[in-house]
Amino acid sequence: MNSPLEVGPMSPLMMKLFENSKEAIFFFDKSGRALAMNPAAEEIVSEDVLMKLYEGSENALCGTCRGYTSDTEQITCLDCYFQLPASAEHSSFQVYLETKGKGVVPYAGSFHTVDPENGTRVFMLRDLTPQLRVQEKLYQNKMMKHVIEAQENERKRLSRELHDSVAQELMSAVVDLRVLKYMTDDDTVLKKVKQTEAAMTRLLDDIRHLSVELRPAALDDFGLEAAFRSHFKRVEENYGLIIQFVSGVARKRYDSDIETVIYRICQEAVLNALKYAQVDTVSVHLFERDGMLRLEVEDEGAGFAEGSDPIGTGLGLYGMRERAELAGGSLSVQSEPGIGTRVLLQIPIAESKEEE
Amino acid sequence: MGLHADYQMELDAIRQAFGYDFLALALVEPAEQQYVIRWKYATGNLNERFRRIVLKSGKGIAGMVFKTGKPVFIPSVRDYVAASSLFNYPIVQSEKLESLGAVPIWNDSRVSGVLLGGFREEDLMTPDLMFALEQAARHGIGELDGKEVASQ
Repeated sequence: MNSPLEVGPMSPLMMKLFENSKEAIFFFDKSGRALAMNPAAEEIVSEDVLMKLYEGSENALCGTCRGYTSDTEQITCLDCYFQLPASAEHSSFQVYLETKGKGVVPYAGSFHTVDPENGTRVFMLRDLTPQLRVQEKLYQNKMMKHVIEAQENERKRLSRELHDSVAQELMSAVVDLRVLKYMTDDDTVLKKVKQTEAAMTRLLDDIRHLSVELRPAALDDFGLEAAFRSHFKRVEENYGLIIQFVSGVARKRYDSDIETVIYRICQEAVLNALKYAQVDTVSVHLFERDGMLRLEVEDEGAGFAEGSDPIGTGLGLYGMRERAELAGGSLSVQSEPGIGTRVLLQIPIAESKEEE
Repeated sequence: MGLHADYQMELDAIRQAFGYDFLALALVEPAEQQYVIRWKYATGNLNERFRRIVLKSGKGIAGMVFKTGKPVFIPSVRDYVAASSLFNYPIVQSEKLESLGAVPIWNDSRVSGVLLGGFREEDLMTPDLMFALEQAARHGIGELDGKEVASQ
């Protein structure tokens, strides 16, 4: 259809580059008529636009171009790169083209004069989709991390507030009430005071539970093992579920991020067992092996078939996996109907931390 | 020990009189136990799981009764709670109850306990049984006088 010869002689190497490059290359004369396009370029432009480009009709490129990314906008036609004088040419920019069969695709484009005498300009495009996809994934991960961090920090703040001020104040009120015992012999008053003291003590307990449920201070102050022990005791009191906890990491501390991930995933896994496994006991095993911190949550309950419709939302497992991956770890879930379920979480721990 | 036997005997008698599959009494623990509410006595239980549970005022069936002082009547557990949130009612789950009723037991104008009777079959708990359970509670159990309004 076109002949690169139109743009003059080329060395064989240059010919090969032009013919076989994955990058789309367009040559334009000073009037804006397309002089030549390489196969990669013809590949992305639809037939009718191709014709118009060779005919040199006005704004032919606009048939495929959807705009470029300027300082202020993602996609814009303001100050079109195609119209700018040679002195103001963009050497590289992001541009969006409507491509044949693939919809709007982002490209890294460059548009500049290669022959000032004749005003010949070249427009080169490189597909940016994979890079952008990688970037987006990175961005998403970063956002997710921020969201989780923000959530944990806010929970920590509320938890501390409840524990340090609300519970403290209530505690001193309860102590005041107890003092009343020594100030009167009136039986009816004493009885009433005792009832009030009981109600307030339970309220105090509730507030402490709330505080711990938001985020256990023990996790920040004493580490995973202490936080687990108190959490499991609470699960037992609330639901009657017994958790057999075996820990091989006595009083060891890890990165706060890692501790949080392990704690939250364990919480979720135990809750899952409680909700769906129909069991009385669950075993939790926390230990280190081969530079990995491992958490195993196992039950001998109902189990489920992989890929079957979840009873719940099915988002719990997804969230657990997400959290694990953000910490550089992995999560595996093995389950068989009637036999039980085993959740294994592995998170790499930095060597330097072990020496601390 | 004598007191313990009294409570247990009274529960056994109520269960026998009305044919409950499961009957349990939750009481407030003394000061040394931080006044928590626990299931202290039961009859017809399938397992001991209920003993481990500490009731939270306002949560679960008995917690609701304790907080509000009002009876709860559930002729059909299935209609009352979705299977996905049944774990919030551990006793209903572990005792496999299908219909039940729970009433407050008053002492000295305060709710001091909860009496819960249930069946492992749907619709066996009836308004009549509910009424009888309330009567039993008002009559008092063990040390509890059952009086909602203090007699002057």
